[in-house]
Amino acid sequence: MSRRRAKSLPRGKDEDVRTIAGLLTAGIISLVVVISVILAPIPQVGPEEGNQAPDFIAESYNGASWSEYRLSDNYDWDWNGSSESEWFLIQFIDTDCPYCWTEGQEMSQLHSQWGDRVNFVTIAAQLNIPNHDSNKDEVEAFRDKTSYFGCNSDRDDCSDRPGTAHNWPYVDDGANTILGNWELSGTPFTAILEPDGTVAWNKNKHQGEGGDGEDVASALQRLVGGQ
Amino acid sequence: MMAVITAPLAAFLIGLTVSVYLLIKARDASGEDGTIGILNASMGFSAVGIMGSGWTWSIHNSMLVGSSSMCATEGLVQCGSVIGDPQWNNLFGIPWGLIGIASFALIWFLILSLRMDLHAKWASKYVDLLYYVSLAGVPFVLWLVIVELTMVEGAPHICPYCTVIHAALLGTVASAYYLRERKNTGSWS
Repeated sequence: MSRRRAKSLPRGKDEDVRTIAGLLTAGIISLVVVISVILAPIPQVGPEEGNQAPDFIAESYNGASWSEYRLSDNYDWDWNGSSESEWFLIQFIDTDCPYCWTEGQEMSQLHSQWGDRVNFVTIAAQLNIPNHDSNKDEVEAFRDKTSYFGCNSDRDDCSDRPGTAHNWPYVDDGANTILGNWELSGTPFTAILEPDGTVAWNKNKHQGEGGDGEDVASALQRLVGGQ
Repeated sequence: MMAVITAPLAAFLIGLTVSVYLLIKARDASGEDGTIGILNASMGFSAVGIMGSGWTWSIHNSMLVGSSSMCATEGLVQCGSVIGDPQWNNLFGIPWGLIGIASFALIWFLILSLRMDLHAKWASKYVDLLYYVSLAGVPFVLWLVIVELTMVEGAPHICPYCTVIHAALLGTVASAYYLRERKNTGSWS
């Protein structure tokens, strides 16, 4: 009786090569990450002073129609600190928030004083609070001070908002996406940006706990000056 | 068109071309040589994926603080409106470039492990894992192509570096498919 010899299958290596493969992979990835960061350092993006302000693209109302608005399209990337480029005042509101309702007056005053040197942008969010149910019609009416009942937690007609009609862009953030990117949980909030989009003043830092109490008008005077 | 093809882009395209050539050559080769050839091709694809992802991450970082000299920002074929778009250039706040580096790192590890020991006990499992991991990237590629063609500001745009990475992933999927086929049909070695 003939005996058939079983064909032996190739065997793997005695040592586990996966440790070496893992170390090699980690080395290569580290190298790629280091080179990438050398080519373009990771910028600090966020609402804190000194950081690049979180950018956004959203629908904005200019008094006549809604169109796409991108904050960074208006930056002066070559700003050197001395040119006459325009700064930015970013305001977050909710058309149903009582503090935002009264802040309408202050914003009108600030704009009449600084509007020629500062780009005003208001972002209309919709806080997750009962009776805070905004929509584009309400945002339009809040900005233009036209008749629409539903502002200020559905207590007032938007035409009664304190202050004059606002003639700067109102950005729709009904989904609270921009609010989230700016790490905000409430309104009103204001920030002043340098012409290249760097956050120069953050309301929560100055008027929050431990802040120096500086208000937005004083900050504009200090930063933009000339008034 | 020639202005769009910068030195890094040319290098990535050469890497892709070489990888495709290796894959085609190895696909029909029998035995262990064919398997090693396919593994070499897939290493080429994933290397292009890792480096391309690193490059797009750099473009992303530079575009956050202004325009980038690393890629065109005007015209149909450009990165500015794609990688520079704050709405679409990230997934839950993580830049796509960084996601690409991490994903291709995992793919690279699986391929390198197989390349270093073709007959390990875990080889079958790793081949399957490689196939499913690379296949999982395909829906993201489709999504990103839809985004750059229809959703970014001023669409349609074609981001050349993003396209290179998408092609690298598809090349990896094809390589993983052939490796799996070899394993399942007993023609691995």
